[in-house]
Amino acid sequence: MISQLLVNALVAGSIYALIALSMSIIYKASEIPNFAQGEMAMFSTYITFILLSVLGWPFLYALAGTLVFAFCLGFLFEFIFIRRAKEPNLLGFIIITLGFQMVLYGLAGWKWGSDQRTFSLPFSESEVVFQTESVVLTEHNLASIVLAILVMAGLYLLLEHTNLGLAMKASQQNVRAAKFNGIPTNRILGISFGISSIVGAIAGVLVAPISTLDPSMMWDPLLKGFAAAVLGGMKSLHGVVIGGLLLGLVENLFGFYISLEFKSIVAFAIIMLVLFIKPSGLFDKHYVRKV
Amino acid sequence: MKLKRGYFEDIRIFRNRASRFWTFLFILVLALLPFFIKAYYLSVINLMALNVIVALGLNVLVGNTGQISLGHAGFVAIGAYSGALLMQLGLPFVPALLLAALLTALIGAFLGIPSLRLEGPYLSIVTLGFGLAVMVIIGRMDVFGGRTGMSVPKLKLGWTGLPYDTALYYVFTITTVVLVIITIILLKSRIGRAFQAIRDSDIAASVIGINVSHYKTFSFAISAFYAGIAGCLWGLYLQFVTPGTFSFMMSIIFLATIVLGGLGSVTGSVLGAIVMTYLGLQLENIVGVPVLGDVIVAFSDSLMNTSGIANIKWVLTGLILIGVILFEPMGLNGLWLRVKRYWRLWPF
Amino acid sequence: MSLFSLNHISKSFGGVQALSDLSFELEEGEIFSVIGPNGAGKSTIFNCISGLYTPDEGSIQLAEKEITGWAPHRIARAGIARTFQNLELFRYLTAVDNLLLGRHIHMQASLLRILAMPFRRSRAAREEIAHRHKVEEIIEFLELEAYRDRPVFALPYGIQKLLELGRALALEPKILLLDEPAAGLNNEERQDMIFWIKDIRDQLGVTVIVIEHNMELVKDISDRVLALNFGRMIATGQVLEVLEHEEVRKAYLGEIPETT
Ligand SMILES: Nc1ncnc2c1ncn2[C@@H]1O[C@H](COP(=O)(O)OP(=O)(O)O)[C@@H](O)[C@H]1O
Ligand SMILES: [Mg+2]
Repeated sequence: MISQLLVNALVAGSIYALIALSMSIIYKASEIPNFAQGEMAMFSTYITFILLSVLGWPFLYALAGTLVFAFCLGFLFEFIFIRRAKEPNLLGFIIITLGFQMVLYGLAGWKWGSDQRTFSLPFSESEVVFQTESVVLTEHNLASIVLAILVMAGLYLLLEHTNLGLAMKASQQNVRAAKFNGIPTNRILGISFGISSIVGAIAGVLVAPISTLDPSMMWDPLLKGFAAAVLGGMKSLHGVVIGGLLLGLVENLFGFYISLEFKSIVAFAIIMLVLFIKPSGLFDKHYVRKV
Repeated sequence: MKLKRGYFEDIRIFRNRASRFWTFLFILVLALLPFFIKAYYLSVINLMALNVIVALGLNVLVGNTGQISLGHAGFVAIGAYSGALLMQLGLPFVPALLLAALLTALIGAFLGIPSLRLEGPYLSIVTLGFGLAVMVIIGRMDVFGGRTGMSVPKLKLGWTGLPYDTALYYVFTITTVVLVIITIILLKSRIGRAFQAIRDSDIAASVIGINVSHYKTFSFAISAFYAGIAGCLWGLYLQFVTPGTFSFMMSIIFLATIVLGGLGSVTGSVLGAIVMTYLGLQLENIVGVPVLGDVIVAFSDSLMNTSGIANIKWVLTGLILIGVILFEPMGLNGLWLRVKRYWRLWPF
Repeated sequence: MSLFSLNHISKSFGGVQALSDLSFELEEGEIFSVIGPNGAGKSTIFNCISGLYTPDEGSIQLAEKEITGWAPHRIARAGIARTFQNLELFRYLTAVDNLLLGRHIHMQASLLRILAMPFRRSRAAREEIAHRHKVEEIIEFLELEAYRDRPVFALPYGIQKLLELGRALALEPKILLLDEPAAGLNNEERQDMIFWIKDIRDQLGVTVIVIEHNMELVKDISDRVLALNFGRMIATGQVLEVLEHEEVRKAYLGEIPETT
């Protein structure tokens, strides 16, 4: 039983880690908590669905198409809205992301909301890949773990070993200095949004088979992602992955040993607890404004 | 300069005679309205009143104190459910209303306490989580009827000799007018000034002797108090409450209301709530609007999906949120101020 | 005993030792200047005194009372007010409201009392009016009449500097900390500022600590001067002694103090 619990924890944790990563990428680049993240992922997931089930593309093509779409969605969001904020401040940015979240939610509901869809992915929740007395590993489980690892490895390579990654780092540390050195910081920010959106879209595709494909499918996972990000400290990509896995574990332990009913508020309790102990997040530095 | 003046004029509710005149006229119209319009419109005004109350409180928190809440529907839910429960237990309306609001304020203060020290985006995340958690918890509690919800007893308003709808309308409008006045006074007082000081610079606020965490908690409590009152009335309005009524989207709509109306302004709260309520209702049957409705149906048929048309509401609300921030950060109130200035100069 | 003393204060940020083992005392009614090159730790002294930073070591005493580690709002109530190097005004409030906020610690009206404020005879209204009179005195003192009802962000820089001074004065402090009060002011405005700082001490009897780069101002107003470099005191005493001090001259090499 406990090993099954660990598998479930790992699967949930991988998905949470992906969502947290997608938020963290934007937060690192712009200090904006992106509340549209969930809906952007949801919208991209619908695109996968259309490509796959309506247009009949093969899965890998559909996935590639989705990722291209997701990148454009993120990039354009930054380019069209975020960049144009008058008197930009944190509240204004939060409101813009909330507005975009509502627009996407409404559009998805308008176009696809009226009936629930089932999703036929090459990896399903019911097909078992591997089974012993104590553990069952479904295709979806395996796919979640593998995809999460692939995304993390890809991000690592991108951020640590490419010029783009270097430019992203440079503009995070000091926008003015980066601009001075000829880095197009605005475009870099747009690209960060795009990359974040891709990571989110993959999380969405993984969430859809275990919940239902509908416009509010990402609300709950979004909160989980935020909890993981808070746990890991928003700005540390390593941290939020650990945060995601930790959340998956705590949640499943809680669900098993204490109460299944209240499992879904564990994330909130964790957010409160962490921030109570350390208001700037577990691994984030306390920030003192110089006066 | 006018050194000999009394300064009382600076703290009066009405800046001048004209504004006092218009306010009294407005109140008179509100009082006489039930004798001229249909019950349906009274219920529309009731809904506006509810939104005005929430907006007033939320604006004190967001617009005046510079904090944020993405979970205000959670407070409204607490007010609605606790009010309903207290009335079911036989408590008369006024004590039930105040008790529900005080309970909500207490929970608001508790949520405020860890939030005090929160930096950057963490407050928004906490409040978002709070709103979602309240719904889950209430949905699992049997006293509150779980997921099915609970019914709210009707008020005993027979003694007024008025039809129930009319009497309820007076309950709602009187509460709202009282709260509007209280908010205006509060914001002119030392407490309101302290809120605004924290919004503009918490560091400066602390070194002039303002206990920043104390006032932030207080602002949360006040804001939750208003939401609690609105919630209790919301229960009466709907006569039946379910956890789904007070969703995450409701919280965002509250935020949209004050952003649209104008952050930090009482006029803005009122204007925003009226416009948002009206829009919300209009958008629900947008298909019925002459020309525009046909266009939208045609558009839905070819590109979207006709059965999902109600979702236009979300799209528009989202666009409003973004549009205000991008183009008119002061919201309708800013527009109003500009119009007023224009008219003042107009004869020349 | 002295009015105020700073005893063996140290403060570091990560690897930067912003202050090390700094001590000084203040006599009532004196004007005490702190000079030193940029990054010497001058503002950090003020931040430690006003409670924004907690010193790593050492203690701070005000009138025999230990105030180390107190929250900023308590320190303000104990009688220490300050201004900031880069203006920390309430930008979206009017000049009058900024000054009224300076009166905050002297106002008491509770929430319930405040609700009665629309009535002229209510206690809250009388209190509010009394404090508005006080604020009018400050407006008059600093000649801010023309700006009273304008939002702060729309005011010229020099006026904002003055307004911040006014807000600190409104607290009726025992000790006033001024962080570069003349920075960014033109010649005339600086002369006015000198005049006002002297006036504050002479007329109101307030003890003043000034951080300043402008040596003309320092020479003109200071009773005593302390020179700081890399968080350490390098000299203290009479103005001319300190300015002639070898290490002080060396510290300022390459960043020659403005002696107009
Ligand atoms: N909040 C802070 N975080 C990190 N370093 C700080 C902070 N405040 C001051 N310092 C550092 O302490 C040193 C002294 O700064 P400060 O007191 O502002 O100097 P100044 O003498 O110019 O007023 C500087 O090296 C500065 O970078
Ligand atoms: Mg300094």
